[in-house]
Amino acid sequence: MGTFIQWKNFEALVPYATMFKEGLIVTVLMALLTVLLGFVLGLVLSVMRMSNFRPFLWLAHAFPGVFGFFERDKSGLLRDSGFLFHLGRFNPLSFLATAYVEIIRSTPVLVQVMVIYFGVFSQLFDLPNFKIFGFIAFDRFFPGVMALAMNSGAYLCEIIRSGLQSIDGGQTEAARSLGLSQLQNLRFIILPQAIKNILPAIANEFVTIIKESAVTYTIGVQDIMAMVQAIKSATYLIMEPLLVATGLYFCLCFPLSKLIAYIERRMSRGDRR
Amino acid sequence: MIGDKLIQVRDLKKYYNRGAIKALDGVTVDIDRGDVMVVIGPSGSGKSTFLRSLNLLEMPTGGSIIFDGVDITKPKTKNAEGKLVKVDIDQHRQKMGMVFQHFNLFPHMTIMDNMTLAPIQVKHMNRAEAEKKAQGLLERVGLGDRAGAYPIQLSGGQKQRIAIVRALMMEPEVMLFDEPTSALDPEMVGEVLEVMKELAQEGMTMVVVTHEMGFAREVGSRVLFMADGKLLEQGSPADIFGNPQNPRLQDFLSKVL
Ligand SMILES: Nc1ncnc2c1ncn2[C@@H]1O[C@H](COP(=O)(O)OP(=O)(O)OP(=O)(O)O)[C@@H](O)[C@H]1O
Ligand SMILES: [Mg+2]
Repeated sequence: MGTFIQWKNFEALVPYATMFKEGLIVTVLMALLTVLLGFVLGLVLSVMRMSNFRPFLWLAHAFPGVFGFFERDKSGLLRDSGFLFHLGRFNPLSFLATAYVEIIRSTPVLVQVMVIYFGVFSQLFDLPNFKIFGFIAFDRFFPGVMALAMNSGAYLCEIIRSGLQSIDGGQTEAARSLGLSQLQNLRFIILPQAIKNILPAIANEFVTIIKESAVTYTIGVQDIMAMVQAIKSATYLIMEPLLVATGLYFCLCFPLSKLIAYIERRMSRGDRR
Repeated sequence: MIGDKLIQVRDLKKYYNRGAIKALDGVTVDIDRGDVMVVIGPSGSGKSTFLRSLNLLEMPTGGSIIFDGVDITKPKTKNAEGKLVKVDIDQHRQKMGMVFQHFNLFPHMTIMDNMTLAPIQVKHMNRAEAEKKAQGLLERVGLGDRAGAYPIQLSGGQKQRIAIVRALMMEPEVMLFDEPTSALDPEMVGEVLEVMKELAQEGMTMVVVTHEMGFAREVGSRVLFMADGKLLEQGSPADIFGNPQNPRLQDFLSKVL
């Protein structure tokens, strides 16, 4: 205890190589599943946020005689301000999605992971306790992935949304003036251009998740960080396993982000063709 | 078919900031089939707003736009049997081609795909037919060999000619132009105006916002003068340029001519 970092201490870690390997697999698998589920959630949230679901305006259009006042004032002019204007524009789907995104983005991921695990999974569900590949405890791994995905979905929603909104408004105007519907505009004009911004950002989010997933050791997910804790209890070494973990995270994240940056550069070069 | 009303604009208003800005302040005008209506006026007078309201890229605050007999500013209209049906703006926009100052070609598509996308997706034209039609139009504007190029490979004048024929692919009943030559280098203005002139001579109904007074005089069938969101004077090019009545118009002409 209290030893300086020493080479022989690293040699003492050799028997634990399998544990690091398993931790590495858990971390990567967790990050992959998180970004996948997070993407689905982000897609749903961004569709909600950008939807045109406005019940009061719908009423105004469907029954102009009765509910027209949501859209137009007494002299029949379109409202552009005031309480009724905002009520008319009120979009409950967008409101819910926005609230979710803001709550997630304004609270620590550690708190979210704990709330999901202790508040939701250990209270409401009885998760089967089997092991994936013989070493991944499902009843810890699954809540960990769910919590991270719920966190990441909020960020991915913003990535998708800002990617779509980064496309010049003139593109939509041109498409709509040719008679393309909103959906056709999205599919043929906006998405193909936005995907070049969105894909690299999603890949970067994957790198972020690899790092953030370390917090899930607090709910017993057997990831890289959990292995450091386990080895510490067994050997009373802390700095050496931590350095190994640092190396593992770095070797995962650094080449990945360089690769993403490279692909991003190549894709934007294609633009200037 | 001259004299047949295509678009009737009635007391059109567009307000911003609770009416503090009146971009359009009660514009009433008829656009007949075959008209080449040129809209002139000082900057900020509401010319773009007027044009963009016609196909509801801007939703007007008040007034109405009756296009082909349907008031497109209202959510519902009476159909032939007198039943109330929803106004489908996508359907009306197909019949109004629009050309923008900054071309707005789709950069991720070839010229051919730019031109055939809407006919194929919206009008369900088959691809071979659409491509044949596009090739014909490209040849008419002298760009028959550029079908496979991407917009970035073209000059401004070429892009704008493409934008015009892209809109023509939908066989619109009226073409709207918002300062189509303002973003072009001077040596490219002529080639675009030439295409527009030919279009006018073929009888296309056109509404053109432009600062090219030569074009207004030579090609226009009617000229509208706008200032402060109002239509202050309208008439034949000869009247507007030769015998302007409104002092604002006289002042404007003395500055631009
Ligand atoms: N979104 C907006 N919010 C507030 N004011 C606006 C908006 N769009 C336009 N305006 C105002 O409406 C008025 C008319 O604008 P518009 O673009 O139609 O003028 P224009 O005649 O086309 O001018 P230009 O010759 O410069 O193109 C201007 O005073 C402009 O500032
Ligand atoms: Mg303008």
